[in-house]
Amino acid sequence: MSIVPQLVANSLIAGSLYALVALGFNLIFSTTKFFNITHGVISAIGGYGVFYFAKKLGWGVPVSILAAIAIAAFVGWLTDYFVFRKMRAKKSSSMIMLVASLGLFTAIQAVIAIFFSSQFQTLPALVTGRVEIFGAIFTSIQIVILATTVVITLGLAFIIKKTKFGKAVQAVSDDVEVAQIVGIKSDVIIGRVFIIGSAIAAVAGIAIGFDTGIEPTMGMSLLLKGVIASIIGGVGNVFGGVLGAFLLGFVENFGIWKISGEWKDAIAFGLLIVFLIFRPQGMFKKK
Amino acid sequence: MEYIIHLLILISIYSILSMSLNLIVGYAGLLSVTHAAFYGVGAYTTAILISRYETNFFLTAIAGAIIAGLLALLFGLILKRFKADYYALVTFGLNIIVFSVFLNWQELTRGPLGIPGIDRPELFGFVFKENIFFLVLVGLVAYAIYELIEYVVKSSFGRTLKALREDEVTTEVLGYKTENYKMVTFSLSAALAAIAGSFFASYITFIDPSTFSLDESIFILSLVILGGLANSRGVFWGTVVLILLPEALRFVGFPTDIAAQMRQVVYGLLLVFLMMYRPRGFMGKYRL
Repeated sequence: MSIVPQLVANSLIAGSLYALVALGFNLIFSTTKFFNITHGVISAIGGYGVFYFAKKLGWGVPVSILAAIAIAAFVGWLTDYFVFRKMRAKKSSSMIMLVASLGLFTAIQAVIAIFFSSQFQTLPALVTGRVEIFGAIFTSIQIVILATTVVITLGLAFIIKKTKFGKAVQAVSDDVEVAQIVGIKSDVIIGRVFIIGSAIAAVAGIAIGFDTGIEPTMGMSLLLKGVIASIIGGVGNVFGGVLGAFLLGFVENFGIWKISGEWKDAIAFGLLIVFLIFRPQGMFKKK
Repeated sequence: MEYIIHLLILISIYSILSMSLNLIVGYAGLLSVTHAAFYGVGAYTTAILISRYETNFFLTAIAGAIIAGLLALLFGLILKRFKADYYALVTFGLNIIVFSVFLNWQELTRGPLGIPGIDRPELFGFVFKENIFFLVLVGLVAYAIYELIEYVVKSSFGRTLKALREDEVTTEVLGYKTENYKMVTFSLSAALAAIAGSFFASYITFIDPSTFSLDESIFILSLVILGGLANSRGVFWGTVVLILLPEALRFVGFPTDIAAQMRQVVYGLLLVFLMMYRPRGFMGKYRL
């Protein structure tokens, strides 16, 4: 039996997790133009939300998922409302906003660790069983994750391309000042972008929770993968990030075919640096 | 008393780290988040040379500084292509790659098992075994590094550095090779961080990769930003406050691990408020 189908399967699953993070990260970046590190810990909030509601309070798993997404989206909105919106008003540089988001990230991650300990935790099963496709074994939850990623990507594409809100988002990402001149309330739009982006980040964190498990520090590595995917796909190009995520998933998983799995992160950053040096605009040139 | 000496030793080691990072972030204006990588290079050089070859501590510290300095030159070749937030992001990546090497190059570093049995420094037959003597040694080294940094930033080299931080194009037009200035500064800063790493390894006598992760780099960066960019004394006081903070929290009655997390909450929120209302830090002379 060849190992290749399983590697493809693993690449697809990793790719879809990264794609979810990259979608939200890119959406926020496209309108605010700074690297929002806090985005990573929002994923952890999603995972821990399900843990708290389903395991500690004994709620049903589907209800817990919805509640966790809502909380993560709310926290994402709070970070914008109380911090980033004020910094935008002061015209803070993107570097200052990056450091502020790093601070928020550190603080929220520590709060999670205080309440839930630094231990690795598992979530109760959403679905059980496994299926074999073309010689690769998927657990049922992995099939759910793949399907969810496809649905969210298409749903977001619809919102951005077809709705009035999506047009406003595009206007804000093209030029905030011009958008304001034609009557778009950019702060309201960006606030909603934070809500949507954070909700998607929460889905990523929850997916990881069901697939493997959760720990307070999960946010940083997940975020960095999302950022790498975004840069490979072209920062601010919301759907380029999805393809970048799958490319990253494949490179990582095939990269560790011959060398040990712990090198995954090094491979991912190696890929990033290669891209930044030779193709800084990403795979798809925007404009 | 032992406890106070322990804290003073930690403050000395972290002052070396924060003052040296300040060269890059405060004086050259480059947001580097990879300082723990160089800190680790120093610590591992000392640990490996002492535990395997019984080399003298001071030679290992010099070797560590040279290796870290050369590594920084190599990184500089990559980093010179980037500015501002992309620069920060690439330094994240470099830290994670170096961390992976510490963790996975098991023949050299023993991976997650770490390296035990690192001896204390020895000079002309005198062993700095007692913590009080170790403190005197590392305190003196930290002070020498403070003076060195003050000398560098007040020299014409330092003035050029501040000029390129404020306006790189103009500085270049005036005939300064700004890239070389940045490379040399980055390399010097890395070498000094490695010296801190050597002292850390020899003080704790055991190291493992977890000390040199990205989180540590973020912590060192916050020491610099809290105290004040481009101000060594400010950075020193920032270091004192953030090292003593978890101890103070422990005295108030928080358990050790909660106190460590509380420190994260406090310095995380401090970073946010400083960025919002005072982006130069409490005593800073430069804003990001």
